[in-house]
Amino acid sequence: MSVLPVGFKTLTRREILRFLRRPKNTFVPPLVTNVLYFSVFGVILGQRINEINGVPYVLFILPGLVVLGAISNAFENASFSIFHGRWNEYIDEALTSPLSYTQMALAYVVAGATRGLFVGVLIAIVGAAFTSVGAARPLYLVAFGLVVTLLFSGIGIVGGLWADDWDDLTMMNQFIVRPLVFFGGVFYSIAELPATLRAVSLLNPMVYMVNGVRYGFVGQAEVDPHLSLLVLSGLTVAVVALDVALFRRGYGLTE
Amino acid sequence: MVAAIETRDLRKRYGDVRALDGVSLTVPEGSFFGLLGPNGAGKTTFINVLVGLVERTGGDAAVFGHDVERDYRQARDCIGLAPQEFNVDRFFPIREVLEHKAGYHGIPADEARERADEVLKQVGIYGKRDTRFDWLSGGMKRRFLLARALITDPDLLVLDEPTAGVDVQLRHDLWDLITDLNEAGTTILLTTHYIEEAERLCDEVAILDSGRVVEVASPDELMDRGTDTITVTFRDPPSSVPDVAAGNGHVESVDLDDGRLVVTARQGGLLAPDLVRELDRGGHEIVDLDVSRTSLEEVFVEMTNGQESTGGSR
Repeated sequence: MSVLPVGFKTLTRREILRFLRRPKNTFVPPLVTNVLYFSVFGVILGQRINEINGVPYVLFILPGLVVLGAISNAFENASFSIFHGRWNEYIDEALTSPLSYTQMALAYVVAGATRGLFVGVLIAIVGAAFTSVGAARPLYLVAFGLVVTLLFSGIGIVGGLWADDWDDLTMMNQFIVRPLVFFGGVFYSIAELPATLRAVSLLNPMVYMVNGVRYGFVGQAEVDPHLSLLVLSGLTVAVVALDVALFRRGYGLTE
Repeated sequence: MVAAIETRDLRKRYGDVRALDGVSLTVPEGSFFGLLGPNGAGKTTFINVLVGLVERTGGDAAVFGHDVERDYRQARDCIGLAPQEFNVDRFFPIREVLEHKAGYHGIPADEARERADEVLKQVGIYGKRDTRFDWLSGGMKRRFLLARALITDPDLLVLDEPTAGVDVQLRHDLWDLITDLNEAGTTILLTTHYIEEAERLCDEVAILDSGRVVEVASPDELMDRGTDTITVTFRDPPSSVPDVAAGNGHVESVDLDDGRLVVTARQGGLLAPDLVRELDRGGHEIVDLDVSRTSLEEVFVEMTNGQESTGGSR
């Protein structure tokens, strides 16, 4: 007998099955995009770019691309699933059941993070076809992988509850997630930036995520990985607590 | 015995609109209770407060003694809801949708699967178990909503307009099914536009208008308050209205219409035999007699119209 309540397990399972059964929507797009990224940025352009801290460029961008794919998919899964359920009102099936508000919120968080992790692994596998890559610090890799996907799944829930329209979802991904990622040290080393820009970059949580995951893959980071992990974990706990509170309040869910 | 539903001074406001304006109702356990009212009377809001889709602004609401907010998990576990809207998971075949719903209520996977098959057979769409909801016909969609409400074996079955837009055959099937469930002990709360439905099924009805309870009574009690029409046809039509003394106090009007005597009266069924005897003694030979009872629908329209005109001053 499992220690997890049947209701929580069922909703989590439903959420995971939803994306597993639609690989065309969930796994094929990041696969194609990342083959393009690795070919163009990594191999074609990367040959003209010097090694960064002794790491070939294609290997340098791999952790960033993994983070980019993992967090956008975690975010998209949670926000889409909640919003689609609200739009078609079938989220009522869970809302009118005896699931606790904490169980509801956690089920969506876990499922979104699971999709993020799957996509992260998929991108790492694609990357391995272009460059030789291992896990220098596997425990850090797992820890950062978990924390960034949980965090963005948690943020996705807020987005899915807040959105009034499909455009709102696209907007959040295009105008918030992507800029943060692109200025988060995925494609360049923040050490190379002028002092001011470097200081601004350190306010971007993405910098800590990319560096943490890079530390896991290649054993090098521009920011202390322990501090990163601590800050990100704190942020994740806060966001998940917010998710639970929003479910309890019925924000975006009840009248 | 604790009531299946107990609300006291239940209120819900949307800005200036009072969707529920102090609703106090008791639905006894095991009863078949009807909630009647025109569009916008607050029927669906009332139901949605019970299942947690609408947050009350004031008052109390409890299901089998569990407050719908403080003990929301216990309250929701007692309720099976077949709503008016088709709010069904589009991603999965209907059998899986049922398994999920059962799981949310803590029913383990093996048992959930068995129950899903059982309720699909019960509502007659087992053959469609691997189809997604969107591909079902309108009538099957209604049947499915009922199956989903039954999957958790609820103590309180809430049916919000269950027969809206369904054909006669299906309507009768649904009636039979829910009557059986009620006889087996399930409490049923039914909202409907079809007054005939309430008349036929319910032990007790509450009439709701503009968020207030106008009346709670059995359908028979309500119908007794309306006027019935007795039409008498004579072999030789009289030239003037015969004197009618029977049922004094109940009779509202006596007229001759094309040679036939038309009497309107409350509780016309009770009055008819006296009327016939009196006319017979007066030498009138009767060839046809028709008593048409007032319908619940007429009483309903009368009550809710009256309410509208005085609504502001109450």
